[in-house]
Amino acid sequence: MSQFLEYIKMALFNILSNKVRSLLTMLGIVIGISSVILIMSLGNGAKESITEQLSTVGNGQVAIVSMGSERITIEDLEYIQANVEGVQAYLVTTMSEGTITTPKGTFTGYAYGCNENNYLFEQYSTLSNGHYFTKEDYDAGRMVCYIAEDDAIKLFGNTDVIGMPIDIEIQGKRLSYTIIGLTSYVTESNSLISYDYENAPIYLNVPLSTLDQRLGLNATQTLGYTDATLMLASNINTQDTCNQIIRILDSRHNCLGEDQFIFQSFNDILATINVVINMITLFIALVAAISLFVGGIGVMNIMLVSVTERTREIGIRKALGAKTRSIMLQFLLESGFITMVGGILGILIGLGGAYVISSIISMAMPEYAFTPSISPIVILITTLFSSSVGLFFGIYPARKAAKLSPIEALRRM
Amino acid sequence: MEPLIHIENIMKIYNPGENAVHALDGISLDIATGEFVAIIGQSGSGKSTLMNILGCLDVPTSGTYILSGQDVSNLDDNALSEIRNQQIGFIFQGFNLIPNLTALENVELPLIYRNVPTSERHECAVEALKIVGLEHRMRHKPSELSGGQQQRVAIARAIAAKPPVILADEPTGNLDSSSTREIMKILHNLHDSGRTVVLITHDVQIAENAKRVVRIMDGKIESDKTKEEGALSCQNKQ
Repeated sequence: MSQFLEYIKMALFNILSNKVRSLLTMLGIVIGISSVILIMSLGNGAKESITEQLSTVGNGQVAIVSMGSERITIEDLEYIQANVEGVQAYLVTTMSEGTITTPKGTFTGYAYGCNENNYLFEQYSTLSNGHYFTKEDYDAGRMVCYIAEDDAIKLFGNTDVIGMPIDIEIQGKRLSYTIIGLTSYVTESNSLISYDYENAPIYLNVPLSTLDQRLGLNATQTLGYTDATLMLASNINTQDTCNQIIRILDSRHNCLGEDQFIFQSFNDILATINVVINMITLFIALVAAISLFVGGIGVMNIMLVSVTERTREIGIRKALGAKTRSIMLQFLLESGFITMVGGILGILIGLGGAYVISSIISMAMPEYAFTPSISPIVILITTLFSSSVGLFFGIYPARKAAKLSPIEALRRM
Repeated sequence: MEPLIHIENIMKIYNPGENAVHALDGISLDIATGEFVAIIGQSGSGKSTLMNILGCLDVPTSGTYILSGQDVSNLDDNALSEIRNQQIGFIFQGFNLIPNLTALENVELPLIYRNVPTSERHECAVEALKIVGLEHRMRHKPSELSGGQQQRVAIARAIAAKPPVILADEPTGNLDSSSTREIMKILHNLHDSGRTVVLITHDVQIAENAKRVVRIMDGKIESDKTKEEGALSCQNKQ
């Protein structure tokens, strides 16, 4: 063991007596490791930030989609809400493009037909004046609507519009509504997801029943919808609940096992986004790892030069009783130390660089700010990897050194 | 008493086959403990090959080499390393000090490979440097020492681990005459203190220092003379 310490001393001594060379050799490893760490921690940080923000978006909403000819009916939804635990509300919608006429002019816009629960599913707007339409309004097919403040300004140049009539002509039919509510957008600060409110189309949020009745759109009460959105409680297992709902729909439509209905939760979308980010991160990290490989070859190159340069020293050591193992160990420790120190420097520089980049981003573009993050396992793996690069690329030169015949080595002047 | 070095019918053949070179052609030699032997020969005589075999840097093609009672004629690389470390102190023509180590660290080298603990190693090395009169320069690097001083460091390194055999290969070949006298005096002192010294040289005058001169020619021993008086007269000259 004391001998091992001697070899460590020797290796350190040799590294220190060739400072410039050791630093240059290290540089390859430092660049390789730091770029891997930089990419991984930025990618991870961005992923965590996106996950965190998107997790509020979904907010317990699950879409049920019909993939075949079967349609989701209001009865289905009523039944599900009544019988499946954790289903808090359902939303069905339809959208029709039309021409809106007001005293200020004619605009292109949409009649957004929905049921009275719509506001529960709205995350980016809140009631600022008046009220939403109710189930009574819906059931009676009253010609009422609520619109966004921004749209009110576009349509009337005014936000004092409660009680005003508004006409929309769809497929040659004129529908006359009365505005009963105004909403305003909630601007989420520090969000990656932003909506372009400026150029958003104009929407009239109307009871779906009025569109059904006036347009004979799709006779929804009997035929049903291709998709619906459910609001689930946050304390239940989304996956299990959704599976249960799909089973109910399948059996109500006598199509068990036919995959007529599927569900989509935001978690699924989130998972897809994560997979994409992971792949991109991994890909860039692999590219960075190539520079690590090149750095390893640099280590081998320098160690080979060192062996050639120190042939005489190796000869002397062997003549004095150094065994093959001792010489090998000496050179391996040297390359191992260089790569280990390079690896540690690389980790520090990579992490530092990641924090510098993220703080530049948060200064320049605060809405995209995020904190870099890296798991200790990645750091551990990187450290082990850099040391093994040193050992792997050190083996050949070390063997070359150790196998030198002392006579040959001493003869070289 | 069993001789310290016993070689019998040693052959060393390079390039076996058509162009075989018989560097050593059946050499037999006994060297007893405490002897001061010079092996002399022209270049190409085979004395360097003999020195390599005596120093366990190489193994003979055939023949037997018994060193301190152990047959070393067929050992592998690692075993030879160990024998060199335990049994032989080398003094080379080119000094062969490691340039970036201090005199003391150079002297400590064989002790490191012998696993001697640090404090004891340090003690032995300092003692050896005292014997060659260089204890005041032990923190110097070889480049800061004169040729004669470097060779004295090399001698200190050869004797630090107290090996039974000191093998000096043209130890004065790179030195001026005053340094040569100095080095030879140290070798004499080592011999006088009971150590076995084998001196390999092409220089008859240097060989005169030894009490026994073995002359090699064409891979064979040409003569083997013990000259008590010659050695004495040489000592008187100094």
